Amino acid sequence: MDAFFQTYFDFTIIEDNFGYVLEGFWWTIRLSILGGILSLLWGLVLAVLRQLPGRAFAPVRWLTVAYIDGLRGIPLLLVIFLIYGGLGALASEGVIPEAIGIPRWFGLPSPFWYGTIAITLTYGAYMAEVYRAGIEAVPSGQTEAARSLGMSHGQSMRFIIVPQAVRKVIPPLLNDFIALMKDTSLVSVIGLVETVQAGRDVYSETFNASALTLGAVLFLLVTIPLARFVDWMINRQNLKVQRGVP
Amino acid sequence: MSDPIIQIGDLKKSFGELDVLTGIDLEIEKGEVVCVIGPSGSGKSTLLRCINLLEEPSGGTIRVAGTQVFGDGKPQNLDQLRREVGMVFQQFNLFPHLSATENVSLAQVKVLGRSKAEADRKSRELLGRVGLDEKADEYPDRLSGGQQQRVAIARALAMDPEVMLFDEVTSALDPELVQGVLDVMRELADSGMTMISVTHEMGFAREVSDRTIFMDGGVIVEQGPPAEVLDAPRHERTRKFLGLVLAS
Repeated sequence: MDAFFQTYFDFTIIEDNFGYVLEGFWWTIRLSILGGILSLLWGLVLAVLRQLPGRAFAPVRWLTVAYIDGLRGIPLLLVIFLIYGGLGALASEGVIPEAIGIPRWFGLPSPFWYGTIAITLTYGAYMAEVYRAGIEAVPSGQTEAARSLGMSHGQSMRFIIVPQAVRKVIPPLLNDFIALMKDTSLVSVIGLVETVQAGRDVYSETFNASALTLGAVLFLLVTIPLARFVDWMINRQNLKVQRGVP
Repeated sequence: MSDPIIQIGDLKKSFGELDVLTGIDLEIEKGEVVCVIGPSGSGKSTLLRCINLLEEPSGGTIRVAGTQVFGDGKPQNLDQLRREVGMVFQQFNLFPHLSATENVSLAQVKVLGRSKAEADRKSRELLGRVGLDEKADEYPDRLSGGQQQRVAIARALAMDPEVMLFDEVTSALDPELVQGVLDVMRELADSGMTMISVTHEMGFAREVSDRTIFMDGGVIVEQGPPAEVLDAPRHERTRKFLGLVLAS
């Protein structure tokens, strides 16, 4: 029992490496927030493209569906390698400028940006599906009312449908955000020392898992309150539905 | 006599195999109040929804205020049509994320290009006209069905339409709330608004309409002044329908 405790909860090791792991966690936070915001926006763009009306937009709808299915169908880890390998190679061949191929925007290292791009591409596809469910859950009478008032498709989406859809899907979007935050650890494979990699670094030096435990605790400090918040929101929405509120 | 405000020629609508409208010819004069009655499935709501092209007809022509809005199998001048024709729905369809005033103002600003202040002034005036001055800032979920429906009427009126379409607007209301909505419609009819109302309210049709139309099986079976159609119907199908409705 003592050995178990020593392996996972060696407070000396936690104390000695607290700053190092915390630094990794700061990358996790930045990746999650930036990747989360960009995924939310990109997902909404995809969902709206998917809903464009008429025959003229059929190719756009088809491409959007293909993108969403494609990105949801391959592992994020693979997407990270594809972006990292692809952009880097294209830049060194001179196909794209180095500023894009090996991004160091705002003084942040390129693995961070490769990770952000990969996360946005993949989670944008997931969130597009969530938005779609929300858009489809808005009663068709809303569109009819908007159109009968002379609003265009774009206006009725922007002012009527999307605002209602987004409210309905905040809980599932937050769930996706929790998943996204955990998946940021995958960016460690291209050299970003985020929480998990920091823990592993300490582990390989000390052969002790306590820094990994610290990483787990840091994740839980964010994810558990978020999960509780999602539950609270769902309960509140259910109460509204029971009261017959649209 | 000026040209009719609505001219419908040989209007057809099918949903797949199902022929809902099989050839409707109808002219509505400016200022006329028309009630459309008939059994469910007779195509009366579909006719109304075709007039402002919420349903795309399968054939025929529709002219509104002298402009062809449907012909050669496709909609034309849709923007003009939607400006000239207001619609009120059975299920109200208020925008739940907007207050009563915002419901009435939004399309004025976004479609007609009115300033926010101008639109809000007009909205409050119209909400006053339908008896809801005090509910102007409430959200739809805080309003009764009858109040919601009156907001919906104000919302349609705010666009200054030439014609108002009413699609069974009292059918989803509790009985005690029906009268308030009918009063607003009666006042609107008295003010000279051109109105087409699909309704089950025979009393309203009798008192308010200039013309009552009985539809069945996707065609207009008979039409005329309400006293004739409702009290002395010429067709057996009309008699049968009225017998069933008035007996209940």
